[in-house]
Amino acid sequence: MIEITHLKKSFGKQEVLKDVSFKIQKGQVVTILGPSGSGKTTFLRCINFLERAEEGELRIGDTRINLRKASRKEILNVRRRTAFVFQNYGLFYHKTALQNVMEGLVVVQKIPKDEARKRAEAALEWVGLSNRKDFYPSQLSGGQQQRVGIARAVALNPEVILFDEPTSALDPEWVGETLDVIKKVAKKGITMIIVTHEMSFAEEVSDKVVFMDGGSVVEEGTPKEIFTNPKEERTKKFLARIIPQDMYYI
Amino acid sequence: MGKYFDFERFIDTIPKIIPQLSVTFSIVLVSMIVGTVLAIAVAVLRIQRIPVLHQILGIYISFMRGTPLLVQMMVVYYGLPLLVQGLFGININTWSTIIFVDIAFILNEGAFLGEIFRSAILSIPPIQSEAGYSIGMTRLQTFTRIVLPQTIRIIIPSYGVDLIGVFQNTSLVFTIGGVLDIMGKAKTLGTATGHALEAYLVVALIFIILSLILRFLFFLINQKLQYERR
Ligand SMILES: Nc1ncnc2c1ncn2[C@@H]1O[C@H](COP(=O)(O)OP(=O)(O)O)[C@@H](O)[C@H]1O
Ligand SMILES: [Mg+2]
Repeated sequence: MIEITHLKKSFGKQEVLKDVSFKIQKGQVVTILGPSGSGKTTFLRCINFLERAEEGELRIGDTRINLRKASRKEILNVRRRTAFVFQNYGLFYHKTALQNVMEGLVVVQKIPKDEARKRAEAALEWVGLSNRKDFYPSQLSGGQQQRVGIARAVALNPEVILFDEPTSALDPEWVGETLDVIKKVAKKGITMIIVTHEMSFAEEVSDKVVFMDGGSVVEEGTPKEIFTNPKEERTKKFLARIIPQDMYYI
Repeated sequence: MGKYFDFERFIDTIPKIIPQLSVTFSIVLVSMIVGTVLAIAVAVLRIQRIPVLHQILGIYISFMRGTPLLVQMMVVYYGLPLLVQGLFGININTWSTIIFVDIAFILNEGAFLGEIFRSAILSIPPIQSEAGYSIGMTRLQTFTRIVLPQTIRIIIPSYGVDLIGVFQNTSLVFTIGGVLDIMGKAKTLGTATGHALEAYLVVALIFIILSLILRFLFFLINQKLQYERR
């Protein structure tokens, strides 16, 4: 189980996260929705210490970590138990798809190279990219790059994977295949927190949906509760704006 | 004085000068290797903006880039022994001149390459480091395995230009305590025989050939390291 309590974060004078608390059970998929600028990315980045929060606590399994004061060792520990899928893929430019997946296995988990290669190849096959394993990121389409990013995350066998708008940077033609791979990850039973604007996808994979606005959690519930019967006015407005009318029939 | 230029004398001079290339090469090799290490350290420390150290490094870089190398060699050659004597009470006047030359070149390279490295490191998108951190790599691992290899690919062309510059700068070292590089040898031959032109032409030819070879070499390296072939 992962729990974040009373997370606060500002950039200069701007309060970006105002006392956010959040809980996810093992094996659950939680999606975070919200308008642009509501603090979703910052929230994920604080969990992985890519940003340092001003206040807040993270519980991951039996470990409790102060998000403000965490030591280098604690930060490494959290990062080694989590994985991050970036909106812009974040693949290492100078490494092939296979090397991208192997890097963490070899350097961080100290798995022998042969074994790591096997695992990395299996992970790439799993996302349907066996035939692209020796390609550099610049030789791959956006959708393929993001699938490498997902393979890299899954291969590390983390306790939770954080997805930050994994399909937002993709051309529409690549969105479907990437979402399919994420659904596959969900079926594996891996705990996931996903920021997305893909509503029907969110409805399909989520155990819980969280709606954020202005740096706070406005409302949370099952996909059914949020999508068909939102309680808060702000949630209703947001959904009305983002969901085409016919989506309600899906 | 005889003829100004004699082709036979020109040919005879070549084997007399070539052996001194080893001196030239040793200066270049030492200053590039040690200078590169120093440059990476300077670049990283500058980027971290550690108070006081940042200012000190700023002054060091301004000095190295704002004064002629010849002046820097003089300062090291005459100033360093005084400094070391004053600070540690050790007499280094007995050190061979070439060591002072090497030190001056290394310090010079640390500054010039340091700035090249600094801007190249800063041009690597932050997401590259973040991706390294996110898979659990330490800062050092992320720097050496992700940032530095990408930095090196970026700086290869400037590095080649810099290396050619260092070669040419070695023509100054004779001025300090008579170090016998190819230029120093040409000068002494000229003085001894009264015919300097042939010797200087040999030196010019060597520099031209070397810089052509180096340019070609760096062109090849650059081609080979291009992974972005879209
Ligand atoms: N590094 C930063 N420096 C300053 N402001 C930032 C930074 N990152 C994000 N912000 C601001 O924080 C707010 C929330 O951003 P973000 O977390 O990216 O929102 P979202 O992902 O929901 O679109 C925005 O107003 C954004 O401009
Ligand atoms: Mg965002």
